[in-house]
Amino acid sequence: MNHIQTITQAYSQTPWRKQVQMIGYFLLVLVVGAVVAGFYLNVTAKTTTIGREIQSMQVHIYGFYDLSGDIANPEEIVPIEELEQNIASLKTELAYLASYEVMHERARDMGLEEVDPEEIVYLDIAGYVGPQTAVLAPPPQPVVVSAASIDPAFRESLFEWVGGQIRDTLKLFNGVEP
Amino acid sequence: MSTQRRYSASTISRGKLVYERVPPDQTRPVVEHEMKTAPWRLTILGIAFSVLGFLVIVQLIRLQLSPWASDVPLEGVDRAYHIFYPPRGEIYDRWGRLMAGNTLVYEIGAQVSYIRSPETVAFALSKVLANHEEYNNPERNYYADIVDAIDDAEEAGRSYVALADFVTEEELSQLRAWALTYENLPQMRDYEGEQASLEGLMFRPRLQRVYPEGELASNVIGYVNRDGIGIYGVEEHFNELLAGTPQRTWVPLDPYAVAEIPAMDPGADLVLTIDREIQAAVEAILDEALVETGSESGTIIVMDPDTGEILGMTSTPRLDLNRYYESGEVFTGNTPFNRAVSQDYEPGSVFKVLTMAAALDAGAVTPETVFQDTGSISIGGITITNWDYGAWGQQDMQGCMEHSLNVCLTWIATQLGAGDFYGYMQEFGFGRVTGIDLAWEATGRLKVPGDTDWYEAELGTNSFGQGVAVTPVQMVMAISAVANGRGEMMAPHTMLSMVRDGAQYTPVPQMVGRPISSDTAETLTEMLANSLENEASDALITGYRVAGKTGTAEIATPTGYTGNETNASFVGWGPVDDPQFLVYVWLERPESSPWGSVVATPVFREVFERLVVLTDLPPDDIRAGMGIP
Repeated sequence: MNHIQTITQAYSQTPWRKQVQMIGYFLLVLVVGAVVAGFYLNVTAKTTTIGREIQSMQVHIYGFYDLSGDIANPEEIVPIEELEQNIASLKTELAYLASYEVMHERARDMGLEEVDPEEIVYLDIAGYVGPQTAVLAPPPQPVVVSAASIDPAFRESLFEWVGGQIRDTLKLFNGVEP
Repeated sequence: MSTQRRYSASTISRGKLVYERVPPDQTRPVVEHEMKTAPWRLTILGIAFSVLGFLVIVQLIRLQLSPWASDVPLEGVDRAYHIFYPPRGEIYDRWGRLMAGNTLVYEIGAQVSYIRSPETVAFALSKVLANHEEYNNPERNYYADIVDAIDDAEEAGRSYVALADFVTEEELSQLRAWALTYENLPQMRDYEGEQASLEGLMFRPRLQRVYPEGELASNVIGYVNRDGIGIYGVEEHFNELLAGTPQRTWVPLDPYAVAEIPAMDPGADLVLTIDREIQAAVEAILDEALVETGSESGTIIVMDPDTGEILGMTSTPRLDLNRYYESGEVFTGNTPFNRAVSQDYEPGSVFKVLTMAAALDAGAVTPETVFQDTGSISIGGITITNWDYGAWGQQDMQGCMEHSLNVCLTWIATQLGAGDFYGYMQEFGFGRVTGIDLAWEATGRLKVPGDTDWYEAELGTNSFGQGVAVTPVQMVMAISAVANGRGEMMAPHTMLSMVRDGAQYTPVPQMVGRPISSDTAETLTEMLANSLENEASDALITGYRVAGKTGTAEIATPTGYTGNETNASFVGWGPVDDPQFLVYVWLERPESSPWGSVVATPVFREVFERLVVLTDLPPDDIRAGMGIP
């Protein structure tokens, strides 16, 4: 009995060591928790910041500008949608400048008159092709579906697939064919 | 002092050394040292954690008591509904000249919580937009409207309220200048004594439909209203195609849940068959003709009979499409937006072209068939006479067309029989829409045997274009079968091609039917060309052989036909050897003369003369010499 007590006493921690150990464990958990929380806060803060930046960009694309703000800053990145809006607006402005009424007025101012059909002289120019109607974009490309480009999964039956799998497996055992 | 453990070698068992642990020395100074240093370290650590905890609590309380706390989105309002509108497709004429485009305008609104002086905002907007058509209504107090709108939005808890729309670039620049002035002069006060400021005002650029050509081709194009919806013409017919596909989505306000803005399908661009120069020419000629003849209204259609492409189409009145909001004043009562497609009428003798085409095709008559005109013919209990009440004696079929004899055409219709006559008329497309790509097409009315309101006499009157209601576009479609010399009736259309997803799609011209043979078409064209030449018609054009027919119709009213008011028409095409143009002219209630041959025929000639110049079409002899068909 005395021997057991001696062994127990020999392997037991002193109370102050136990206390320090407990505090150590607690602090370890606390520090690990703080580190994790710190990482979490850091990541979420970055996520939020980037999210806000994206939202801000979206507002610029489809949203509103502050009236007092300066959007004329040339260094500011202009969204492509706004560029397209500006292009469309400029095209219209150009169309106004080249409208029938404006061009007709300019022609009149230059002293030009409408030609009498009988005054027109026609020349036969070999190979001349008259004006062509507006081409604003290329014609659509024909969609050619080649059987060879289709994934084999869509071309073979279940039995063919199983047979192929078996053959592939057998090759592993038989070695590489010459 | 040494801290190493001490062991005593006690026994050796099976070759292994066994150690026995010796209890530590209770008087070791190391232990005493650790016991002494532990409390003050723990105290510091405890204080540090306490301070941190306290700061966290302080921060929580501070955030909760912050005046901005109320702005934090609450549960259920963490997203906003938004509709993204793609830019509307543009419309070009056949040579690529812009007929309908888009320009930048601005919406002005207020971010309510940032507004410092509603009175300043109202003052600035009402002054800057004083000349704006939308906001200069003397019956409205725009200043008060703005103040009320901001107050209402504040009370309702809304974060944003729109205050003005369709603001131009110049007006926006003025507003921005005002805003900067207020920023730079903080001592300025508003009526309430608050600091004058335009803070909180926002603007958003967007595209608005505009029409660089104004009135030109307005009957064909139509317009887009305030809500961005196409009204009339091409704008309405192709509204979905032009408008693209708006994307409706909930935009999250939570930055964690930020989502990609949906990709938008932009509207398709359209290239019309309309030629701007031809369109301008026919509009000018029509306007001039209305003044000269005193006509109430008019319509001109120019079509390529080979393809059905509408090269020019106009009717009166016309609208400046940039002032679409005046359409109610321009199109009063039942006035259609485009008479060419939306108004049916009794066409009169131009319809004889189709009666003769049917009779020739069915073999009921030949060009050499002789008819003895006695000046009248009875059918279905009524007596039909000629336009001059005269008897023209012996006439062949060309003579019947040349002198536009109602009696002869009635006889031809009886030779053909009601079944065949109406069968042909239905094949020519009467009584149903042509399917032209313009909104609000009228069907007209063709009464056929079996209808409760059809009488035998209708066969006679219909043969010369009375008692049948047709639209001008129905007439040009039907007569295209004669004019192109193939007997093929081509679908009239205004869209030449469409540009979408970076590719230009050009539909093939559609043949609606083949009511007559090519032989019939060529024979009839020759007959009508000879008719014009024999009577030295005003339609004849130097250098170009043309075919055509006049029409003068009495106007049906609820109380019967008008005696002194007519619809004057002319349909003609040419050059006969290679028809390029089919021209239809309709003048309503001309005052200078009731006859189509007097008022409408010169209009046709004038149009055709301009067409050959504008399209560089050489005269017949030069084309023959050049080997051009």
